[in-house]
Amino acid sequence: MPTVATLNLQDKNTFADWRTFLTSLDIHNFQENELTTIDLTIGIYDEAGKLVATGSIAGNILKYIGVCNKDSAKGTYFNTIISELMNHLAQQGIFHLFVFTKLKYAQSFQHVGFHQLAHTTEGALLETGDTNVSTYVQSIPRIADQDKKAIASIVMNANPFTLGHRYLVETAAKANDLVYVFVVNNDVSLFPTAARLQLVQEGTSDLKNVQVVNGADYMVSYATFPAYFLPTPDAAIKYQTTLDARIFKHQIAPALNIRKRYLGSEPLSRTTDIYNQTLKKELPPEIQVVVIPRLTGSTNQVITATQVRQAIRTGQLATIEASVPATTFTFIKSNLQKLQQRIQKGMNIDGN
Amino acid sequence: MVENTERLRRTMMFVPGNNPAMVKDAGIYGADSIMFDLEDAVSLAEKDAARDLIYEALTTVDYGDAELVVRINGLDTPFYENDIQAMVKAKVDVIRLPKTESAEMIQTLETLVIAAEKEFGIEVGTIHLMAAIESAKGVLNAPEIATASERMIGIALSAEDYTTDMKTHRYPDGAELEFARNMVLHAARAAGIAAFDTVFTNMDDPDGFYRETEHIHQLGFDGKSLVNPRQIEMVNKVYEPTQKEIATAKNVITAIAAAKAKGSGVIAMNGQMVDRPVVLRAQRVMNLAKASHLLDEEGNYIEK
Amino acid sequence: MEIKQTALAGTLESSDIQIMLSKGADGIKINLDSDVKKQFGTQITAVITEVLQKFEIENANVKAVDKGALDCVIKARTIAAAQRALGTTDKPAWEVL
Repeated sequence: MPTVATLNLQDKNTFADWRTFLTSLDIHNFQENELTTIDLTIGIYDEAGKLVATGSIAGNILKYIGVCNKDSAKGTYFNTIISELMNHLAQQGIFHLFVFTKLKYAQSFQHVGFHQLAHTTEGALLETGDTNVSTYVQSIPRIADQDKKAIASIVMNANPFTLGHRYLVETAAKANDLVYVFVVNNDVSLFPTAARLQLVQEGTSDLKNVQVVNGADYMVSYATFPAYFLPTPDAAIKYQTTLDARIFKHQIAPALNIRKRYLGSEPLSRTTDIYNQTLKKELPPEIQVVVIPRLTGSTNQVITATQVRQAIRTGQLATIEASVPATTFTFIKSNLQKLQQRIQKGMNIDGN
Repeated sequence: MVENTERLRRTMMFVPGNNPAMVKDAGIYGADSIMFDLEDAVSLAEKDAARDLIYEALTTVDYGDAELVVRINGLDTPFYENDIQAMVKAKVDVIRLPKTESAEMIQTLETLVIAAEKEFGIEVGTIHLMAAIESAKGVLNAPEIATASERMIGIALSAEDYTTDMKTHRYPDGAELEFARNMVLHAARAAGIAAFDTVFTNMDDPDGFYRETEHIHQLGFDGKSLVNPRQIEMVNKVYEPTQKEIATAKNVITAIAAAKAKGSGVIAMNGQMVDRPVVLRAQRVMNLAKASHLLDEEGNYIEK
Repeated sequence: MEIKQTALAGTLESSDIQIMLSKGADGIKINLDSDVKKQFGTQITAVITEVLQKFEIENANVKAVDKGALDCVIKARTIAAAQRALGTTDKPAWEVL
């Protein structure tokens, strides 16, 4: 009988075996930053001891799924790998999971209960679990007669919320009946999700037609758009941003009647710039993309959250007091030590 | 000892307890006994699910005449008591205790089985027991284990753990198992219960499998534990009686019938008294012949 | 009874069914994937529902991926999922078995 085993990729021979097997299946992405995210790899060995299937998990994402079906009934090894991985995750209390996969395998995943969120010519993103995009959309607050109103949206990491963000929200709020501000959900930013959500809420509490919502796993999440957080080649960024845009366009916006998406112009971040280009290409005509030039501060510099984080590192808070709302500034002051510790412990503050 | 009119136990097929496909099909291969495994074949996280699955299978799936055995988790595990209760409630034929080392372990098990039988309104004494011997201590205590309870139907040697305990491993010639095999076999015979030999896992070595099966057949084992249904036919072939054995057995059976007809308590054949072991052997040969499909409806030998 | 946490039981292998049971607000909602949904979908959901009712679970979301499971397998997997979701795996539910 074929046996299922855990693969120790730290072992050179095992790794070489695994890599050769995946390469033979046309899977080639073995970059360091992809590999280091792997939490667990399993494999199936046939009776002769040959690796015939493998799969990995990284957080709540299935990765490096590869199956050789030459000697097994169709789908047998695939189903074993997926359900083994799902059982592993379930034991850790993780039930909602995602997979990026080549288009040709998307159907195999759908066959075991996965739902396709979006696809491009290169690949597809699917999810399964105890929550999904439709339960997420249902949980978002609505207003009366929403389908007859002008609804806009903004997606931001707000790490942390600055006057630049505030200006963008304000501009959108003036021109629409309701503005959804989706705050990116991730644990790799200097400000944790709860704090970022809180600061956006506090910083916009006077704007009555603004609804702040957790972006969950569907907007610029670590699951769907890792390139936002990790150094990544342009092609991969384009692929991931396209999926992100298509999820927004097809799975999120229609049910909420979102017709506009506001963006800040992006002079500084290459990744965000590619993201903006993709949004402009993908969202219209159903969703109009409105680009608002960045607010400039007193010294005629654009306000960025990156500068704020730098000031936290150096402790020179006076330099940023004019760039953030009072609520953000108070939060930074009272949490300065904690934030600085996070930076000292290696939190990257130069990205997004 | 449980009186089992020489139930055939040539093959005891192991079935992983959490695999529905194998659990569902376990009855179709013609194993004399089917052993559903809740122990080694089931990972810690799936112990509950496997127990539920085997319970439901035992109470709904028709396994024909096969004797149904469940290997429960050991005394030292948190699953032990729930396994016992569930399998008693499911009215499994036999509970197999792994890693048995003393009569006391069987008695502890029996106490819990009695309690479960009472709890679930099952006649006390219904559920039978067997022990797996997997250590040096177990082998040396085999006689007391075999007679530990009236419910015992057999003892089985498990060579994997045993050879580890003996600081050796399995060899093709099986010399490392000789003492254990003989101990288990003698303990079983002295207690009047069945003796099961260990599994043979290398499916790519049919010659080795035949060699080992012929050896344990020669020693006198009732049969062998199996991990693959393909091995059932192979074991049965080894246990097939010869035409001559069947002819002799038939003569004995005829003599018994003649004695009965005369109302005589003494069975005689060729002017000699036929004693009990000969009668038992004859019955056993006829059973085997029938099970091997070597007899027609009238009990005549079928030429192959 | 109230579901405490999401739970998963069963596998995606042939003759099995994978059951994911999570909190619900609006009765028992079953989302079933099965190759034999047309012929047996009603039967499969009936078995799952019956088990949940025996546990007195009134609100639950069930995601079931069936790979040709017999009724007894569906029942066993639903029981395992329910006990895991209720946090009662240590004490088998004799009245449901």
